[in-house]
Amino acid sequence: MAHPILVNLSNYYMPNPLRELVITGMGVLSAVGMGKEEFSSALMEGRHAFRTMQRPGRQEAGSCYIGAEIPDVYFEQALPKRIQRSATLSSKAALLTLQEAWKEARLQEFPSEEIGLIVGGSNIQQREMIEIHNQYAGRIPFVPPTYSLSFMDSDICGFCTEKFGIQGLAYTVGGASASGQLAVIQAAEAVLSGQVSCCIAIGALMDLSYWECQAFRSLGAMGSERYAEFPAQACRPFDRQSDGFIYGEACAAVVIESASSALARGIEPYAYVRSWALGIDANRNPNPSYEGEKKVISQALSKAKLLPRDIDYINPHGSGSVLGDLTELRALRDSGLSHAYINATKSITGHSLTAAGAMEIIATILQMKYSWLHPTRNLEDPVDDTWKWIQQSAKTHDIQHALCLSMGFGGMNTAVCLSRNQKI
Amino acid sequence: MSREEIWHIVIQQVIEVIPELEGYSFRPSEKLADLGANSMDRAEIVALALEALELRIPRIELFGASNIGELVELLYAKSIA
Repeated sequence: MAHPILVNLSNYYMPNPLRELVITGMGVLSAVGMGKEEFSSALMEGRHAFRTMQRPGRQEAGSCYIGAEIPDVYFEQALPKRIQRSATLSSKAALLTLQEAWKEARLQEFPSEEIGLIVGGSNIQQREMIEIHNQYAGRIPFVPPTYSLSFMDSDICGFCTEKFGIQGLAYTVGGASASGQLAVIQAAEAVLSGQVSCCIAIGALMDLSYWECQAFRSLGAMGSERYAEFPAQACRPFDRQSDGFIYGEACAAVVIESASSALARGIEPYAYVRSWALGIDANRNPNPSYEGEKKVISQALSKAKLLPRDIDYINPHGSGSVLGDLTELRALRDSGLSHAYINATKSITGHSLTAAGAMEIIATILQMKYSWLHPTRNLEDPVDDTWKWIQQSAKTHDIQHALCLSMGFGGMNTAVCLSRNQKI
Repeated sequence: MSREEIWHIVIQQVIEVIPELEGYSFRPSEKLADLGANSMDRAEIVALALEALELRIPRIELFGASNIGELVELLYAKSIA
């Protein structure tokens, strides 16, 4: 009888196993569910958790910022008391998602020096900082010494590397709302260049305070008070009635290694990371760039040696920003991708900013794995109805090649191509 | 505040920082490090104790305490000073 791994081998797309990268572990935490199982059922059913936010530091007198918050019970059940007390919300979320991804990818099989960790996001713990500033205002001598660690985003690296004994590399990368995808790209580069044998990319939980909510709203980026009485309707990417993004807490971890390493360890990968592209618009401002987006789409397709027609599913950035959504659709259309299915993960999760890019790669892979496409909540009147939208309900479909996009303030565009784990 | 009250306040902070020590019978001769407190935990315990006692004193004045009993003794001396 043939060895099961060798039988599977014939199904792999693998022109050069040493250069091919795969995803072998994933962990996700969002307001609609902890872990891949809950998360994927929430996606499929289009469940949501939007309401007026309750977490301390999220509202100021009279404000009513809408968002999706992770239930505290997830942390209370899963983390030791000592970590619950000392870790920030972002660190706790990173520990939980890493735990899920680590176990699944059996990372304990690697020497600790061969494991890397890249955390996507910068300045992400604003709410915790505001809380400390308020608590100790006028009592500065009593500021807790742990604040000297926790105010730095790299504290997340500290918690994660200590808990899991990671000694290869660990650092944070900032790319605004593209940070999660940027971390995945950096992790892929770290494995490809041989710095480490496997690398975890975490899209960190961006912990907004009411200060950032107000600034985003003043800018016109965050959805207005229009849906204050109807929080379930507020988050509506690509819909004509959208007027900005709606925040959602989330964190996501993805494990990347070479196809040959996964094969040698007998782990069946979720998907191939076929290509990626990172583009900078030379623009400090928050506005999107049609040219910049088109460029990363074209670079990613070309590096993957795929034609536009090969892409059968797009996981767009789709934040709900009026100009952002329109610009993205135009860039996708002019890249020859209007035949592909498209939905908006943020309609279910909200915009998790620094976590979004990593979480949406997981959403794409889960849809690939289970052969369905999730609905897009509140997409009642699409800004462009000529697209193959997945609107009210999930649809059965075998994704072969997917394109994931992320965009961030300050002229950041990223694209990642993922291919199903089988022969083309 | 008596030495005993300060002892209880310090022990409360130790348990706050190291919850696994809940229910443990502390002795004055024990060192925080031997109870599993790393340098950050020790700094945190001292800060929380100072906060609970509302003692605004330079940290340097607490140097030299080599066990829980000596820390309580120093805090007591500062609280009545």
